[in-house]
Amino acid sequence: MSTAFQILPETGPPAAGERQQPAAFKVIALISLQLIGLWALNRIGFWVAASTGLPVPGNLIGMVGLYALLALGIVRLSWVEAAGSILIRHLAFFFVPITVGLMDMGALFAAHAVGIAVTLTVSAAIGVLLAGWVSQLLLRDAAPEAGP
Amino acid sequence: MTAIVTVFGITVTVGAYALSLVAGRRYPCPLTTPVLFSTVIVIAVLLASGISFSDYAPAKGIMTFLLGPATVALAIPLYKNRQAFFGNIVPAIVGLLCGSLGTMIVAGILAGLFRFGPELVSSIAIKSTTVPIAVVIATIVHGNPALTAAFVVITGMIGASFGPWLMDRLGIRHPVSRGLALGTISHGQGTAQAAIESQLSGAVAGVAMGLGAVCTSLAAPWIIPLFLR
Repeated sequence: MSTAFQILPETGPPAAGERQQPAAFKVIALISLQLIGLWALNRIGFWVAASTGLPVPGNLIGMVGLYALLALGIVRLSWVEAAGSILIRHLAFFFVPITVGLMDMGALFAAHAVGIAVTLTVSAAIGVLLAGWVSQLLLRDAAPEAGP
Repeated sequence: MTAIVTVFGITVTVGAYALSLVAGRRYPCPLTTPVLFSTVIVIAVLLASGISFSDYAPAKGIMTFLLGPATVALAIPLYKNRQAFFGNIVPAIVGLLCGSLGTMIVAGILAGLFRFGPELVSSIAIKSTTVPIAVVIATIVHGNPALTAAFVVITGMIGASFGPWLMDRLGIRHPVSRGLALGTISHGQGTAQAAIESQLSGAVAGVAMGLGAVCTSLAAPWIIPLFLR
């Protein structure tokens, strides 16, 4: 199963041989339509960021926008779920072309290897500690029976 | 020539990713996770065939076209799991703010102590945000998207592998707290780990990942300049 290729947008109807399978065509059309919707929300997000001058990522505005539309009942989950779940399942694919940019940064990484390792490890550990410990303290105050 | 290189770049990247899915299923370990495994293969192939990153840029543009829509789609798990998070709204929000801002401040201070340049400081401070949003914050705070993406992925691995161990030692046992910590610090990879621990932890982690991104996006442009003196 070549799921890796499904992340590419489907354009146009499938070949004539697929005439007998209207279900497959319908699914592709539905996913394409949903992709266009998600793409439009993303564009709107970047447009809002650019036109207001806010230092906020446009795709984040798009994400919050979709959440609001779902929460308000304007958009139904079934309208975005098919395309959304494919994109999320293969989210890691989109990171690869970005991290390939590291090929130009070997020297920078080598020069700061220890500092980078310490910074990433210590800040992650303190972050986990803060988020976990503070929330647990407050959860126990709210419901003392929750703690072990 | 550009067209050939672009088609070649896309073929290699899609192929490497497909291979990583197979390898990850057969030998599941941090080294066979899709991003690390595929990136190493793609860089090796590009270097071997004498293609520079700027030659690869058009291919990258085509392949990341759907990254924005994919980020928007993250609202779907956020919406589905909202009850797990908002059912414990005060502890969850306070914990999220402490973890999200705390890790950024600690990273910024350490980066300053190690005398990193401004681009490196900005890139490393935002490493607890999920990749697609982190790379856009990177451009806003004058970091480097590739560096940021690498730091985010490494942070995901560190948190997902050592986070549960660390929380066991520290007596952090509440499933909401464990999910919150993993999602806030280690985004997608942490959420996957939390989902293995329990359904509640996974749900909380998924929402924490999304809201952590909101928190970092809003705070980074104000906090990072403090470390750049």
